Amino acid sequence: MSAVNKPLQVNPLKLSAPMGATLAFLGVKDTMPLMHGAQGCASFTKVFFTRHFCEPIAIQTTAVTDITAILDGGDRSIIEAGENILKKATPKLIAILSTGLSETKGDDIKAASKGLKKVKEIESVYVHTPDYEGGLESGFAKAVESIIDQLVEPASNIEISTVTILPNVNITPLEVEKIKDFISDFGFIVKALPDLSQSLDGFLGEKQGAISSGGIDIKDIKKLASSEVVISIGQSMKRAAKKLVDKNRAIEHLHVDSLNGLDFSDKFVERLIRYKNIKPSTKIQRWRSRLCDLMLDSHFIIGKKSFALALEPDALVGLSKAISEVGGEIEIAISPTKSEALKEVVAKEVIVGDLEDLERACKNVDVIITNSHGYRIANRHKKIIVIRGYPNLEEVGNALSSDLLYEGSTYFLREIANVISKEEHSV
Amino acid sequence: MLKHSKIDELLNEKACSHSSTKSSSCNKPTPGNTTGGCAFEGAQIALFPYADAAHLVHGPITCLGASWESRATLTSYSGTDFTQMGFTTDISENDVIFGGDKKLAESIDYIYKHYSPEAIFVYFTCVTALIGDDVESVCKESKKKYDIPIVPIFAPGFTGSKNLGSRIAGENVLESLIGTKEPANLGKYNINLIGDFNVTGDMWQYTHLLEELGINVLSTLSGDGRVAKIRGAHRADLNVIVCAKALISLVRKMEEKYEIPYISVSFYGLRDTTNAILSIANALGDLDLIKRAKELCDREERKTKKALEPYIKNLSGKKALLNTGGNKSWSIASALQDLEMEVVATSIRKCTEDDIQKCKETLGENAILMKSPANEQAKILSDFGVDILLAGGRSLYTAIKKKISFIDVNQEKKISYGGYDGLVNFAKDLNAIIKNPVFKNVSKVAPWENLNSKGSLL
Repeated sequence: MSAVNKPLQVNPLKLSAPMGATLAFLGVKDTMPLMHGAQGCASFTKVFFTRHFCEPIAIQTTAVTDITAILDGGDRSIIEAGENILKKATPKLIAILSTGLSETKGDDIKAASKGLKKVKEIESVYVHTPDYEGGLESGFAKAVESIIDQLVEPASNIEISTVTILPNVNITPLEVEKIKDFISDFGFIVKALPDLSQSLDGFLGEKQGAISSGGIDIKDIKKLASSEVVISIGQSMKRAAKKLVDKNRAIEHLHVDSLNGLDFSDKFVERLIRYKNIKPSTKIQRWRSRLCDLMLDSHFIIGKKSFALALEPDALVGLSKAISEVGGEIEIAISPTKSEALKEVVAKEVIVGDLEDLERACKNVDVIITNSHGYRIANRHKKIIVIRGYPNLEEVGNALSSDLLYEGSTYFLREIANVISKEEHSV
Repeated sequence: MLKHSKIDELLNEKACSHSSTKSSSCNKPTPGNTTGGCAFEGAQIALFPYADAAHLVHGPITCLGASWESRATLTSYSGTDFTQMGFTTDISENDVIFGGDKKLAESIDYIYKHYSPEAIFVYFTCVTALIGDDVESVCKESKKKYDIPIVPIFAPGFTGSKNLGSRIAGENVLESLIGTKEPANLGKYNINLIGDFNVTGDMWQYTHLLEELGINVLSTLSGDGRVAKIRGAHRADLNVIVCAKALISLVRKMEEKYEIPYISVSFYGLRDTTNAILSIANALGDLDLIKRAKELCDREERKTKKALEPYIKNLSGKKALLNTGGNKSWSIASALQDLEMEVVATSIRKCTEDDIQKCKETLGENAILMKSPANEQAKILSDFGVDILLAGGRSLYTAIKKKISFIDVNQEKKISYGGYDGLVNFAKDLNAIIKNPVFKNVSKVAPWENLNSKGSLL
């Protein structure tokens, strides 16, 4: 792994930690994420996720001004924001996220969160997410760590056959549901933290958008320390799983780097079989066989191609593996931030960089996989493009794609192969 | 730390020169009850359309990471289109502690070396303002080195609203660019177009008509803009503000400094487009020009009315509710009336007194002027049987989930609704949306909702 040596980001791939944290909180039921910064931090985040998910997004801001930036220690504007939020909406949890601005000021959001709990008798969590540190993936993970730290009650007993999964930021709402169903198939009762499959999955309901429109219940979060197993999916979520184990040493921690492709799925299934000593259902068995068959059918197409990937670290690990399993060659993988996960990426070259780096590197590849900012690059250089990651401002139904486990991996390879075929016909 | 009461006092500065009757950008945003963008975003909106300049955001990643390449500000520039690129110093914790000046200077070097833009705008953000980076000196030094304008923009997000940020951007352009170069493209009549950002090509719906009349668009701020041209803006005969209250202080100051008069116009709808073109001709004051302008408007109106015929049939008498801000509160209302639609209500939440007056004139006595659309809108929609809601993209998904037909009339729209030809686009879109059966279809109850208590179908 190397980092491109330049002083700035040109066409950034990177997104900020407070944005990632916001997304995590949107998977907790009845939550209002409250970004402690200037009004723009929340506004940009709201517009960004609204356009990506085609959904109303709940978020508020403490709207720090030049005067409060200097004179207020944060507690005043956070309490005032809490009061104003409760005038209009009925959240059960207010999640305070710091930003570069409020961290530079040095505000004590821990105290403010405590104050909010006391004054307004409402649940509150806080997370330190200055946007000059980490990125989308680490911000999301930090929010989950904070939720576990601050909301989960310590326990000493475990409830047999209960599982908590900790999906990383790249896992779509539908994928969360698919993982839950998959594990349930082995006889587990599964909770996801956060659970975007119940909030940002794109459903038609009543009164959406004032607060998070679904997700894991706060009551359930408090009891997560009685899970038999906690499964962290992606390197970024490993620490959060350890935090849960800290609440109850009897919990077993199962970590997987990814659930994309045949190998990761097989390894995951092996572990589940070991816990339960049962064979997966015939449906799961059938999907594995379909995946293997599609791998054979698609290897003619994908196996001849070279790829450039520009995605968050945990997504790079999974997708690079899935593509390389059918012979696709990843010439370059670009990550917006540093991460331990980058060691696991299957690619000739792995760098920390931006979309300017992608544009330079893509001249030697056939297919680009990145967010929708990649369209312009692909058009300019006549490359095939498949959109993954945030944002996707060009397509609808972004919550409803699944690339993981046997079933999703089958559809993923099918999509890649067919996009390549279609493009080649049009030339 | 100061006492809370002291902070309140500072936040409500009484000596502020703004009108006492109307909210202005001096009103500080309320914690927990604020939705709009920040001053930095306002500056970005105002200046990013300059396609020949690189726009470098000196701050952490949120400011640019989420916002670059998100506005369809089209340009005819043949070089690298900087409007759709993002440059940011992406400052790290280290920079926060030791200062980001060096990184900024190196970033400017990098941009000059790799992209050789005509100019570089450098945007201050909250964090870099707070840590006290000396952006101005860095810009000055770099300017000496490369001999291109390198303009610092002092609108960190916490300064206030989007509107204020646009205003600051205008000021900074006035101080640093306007009057620094003689224009190469002077014509007989020269105007500056201020405040049209050419989103989806809005500006191109009417600039060809101005050209046909022999009116030279000397420069713009900043739709399809060039920095080289705005530098010569001081030689214009007239400043034309298009739908942008925020930039009025810029043209007022240009009037003081360069004696350039200004007019404010809108290019939404048939009547307003004609008015705008005639106002420009009148302000330039040439009788022959005025005569030709009238002929041109007649011709265009005839053509447009003919093109609108098939749509007006379906739109006539349909009811609309408008929830947008500023000029659009009345200008889009006027466009809707041109399509024979009835505007039941419009939002005046983000309007000046002047706008409110125009809303009254346009909509007539019976129309509802919503001061707080968030609270009033739902009732009006159902009480009046409104057929379509027109608002910004933020409220789109809330609206369609409530099964209300919706058109995005703000910056995230996909196609231009400006000028004569844009009105035809507008009519076409309204027509397609109003007759779309989707709302009826998704309103059908699910089959299982019809089961009786025994579980069989009723």
